[in-house]
Amino acid sequence: MADPSAPSASAHDLELVALAAAGGRAAFGELVRRHGSAVRGLLRRMGAVPSLADDLAQDAFLAAFEQMGEFRGEGTFQAWVKRIAARLYVKRWRKDARLELMAEPPEIEAATTLGEGAAADRIDLDEALRDLPGAERMCVCLCYGGGLSHAEVAAALNTPLGTVKSHVKRGLDRLRRKMAPGREPDGEEFEAHA
Amino acid sequence: MPDRRFEIDLDRWFGEAPAFADGDLFALRVEARLDRGWSFRQLLIGGLGVVGGLILVAQIVGSGVAGRLNAVTAQSKDLVASRVADLTSLHILSAGLPLNGKVIWMSAGLAAVALGFALTRAIKEF
Repeated sequence: MADPSAPSASAHDLELVALAAAGGRAAFGELVRRHGSAVRGLLRRMGAVPSLADDLAQDAFLAAFEQMGEFRGEGTFQAWVKRIAARLYVKRWRKDARLELMAEPPEIEAATTLGEGAAADRIDLDEALRDLPGAERMCVCLCYGGGLSHAEVAAALNTPLGTVKSHVKRGLDRLRRKMAPGREPDGEEFEAHA
Repeated sequence: MPDRRFEIDLDRWFGEAPAFADGDLFALRVEARLDRGWSFRQLLIGGLGVVGGLILVAQIVGSGVAGRLNAVTAQSKDLVASRVADLTSLHILSAGLPLNGKVIWMSAGLAAVALGFALTRAIKEF
């Protein structure tokens, strides 16, 4: 017989968050099932080896469960957990000197739910990110994958704001040349995520 | 102007999550870690409670409160017995009722337990 307290697969994230905030393990499990891949994928794109990415993704979800009451629903739940995960990765990276930014990020396993076009874009992004220097990849991933502002990235990396902006700009230029060669910026500094 | 279209595309590409084949296994691992954390907390709280209880008992025994409690109990027993005798002589209480100090203490204990149940239920409901 079905568990009447089990969350519906069609329940909105906010409903599941409310249930999880009240201690609902089943609702929390559903959230992990829905967004686990996104968080793991982001950490791998940032340069974490698969085992570390999975460990940190687990840490991020456990931290999210502990802080569930602080989630205001101003953004998506996935974006919120991604921010937590990105910060955890940066913290780990800074703490452990042995963890260097990988020159060759691992291949992300094949997607099974995306359409062909989307999958092609994703593969292009993974390949393009792999070609970026470590600092640029980290800054671009934190801004566009983790949703952090330039100032937040600068604080997290303990790096001057100008340096972060430069890394992001150069990283974006490289990505654009690789992924959208026909579209060149006019040289002005972009303002998004600032 | 910055190439906003590319940045929007980049946001979208980052947002398109790859679906890992072991997604369910990952979720189970997270839930298992959550359960382990809760079990550890419960054990810790239980252990601290036991240690605290033992310390409390040791303090009570060491302070000689048992002797004083005996004296107070004896006094209250006499007092209750005399009051019950007064009420019985006034025909307020039936002489057949088994009313003595022990019964009153037991009643008080049962009342405390019932209050505990009521409080637990109220906390669960609200």
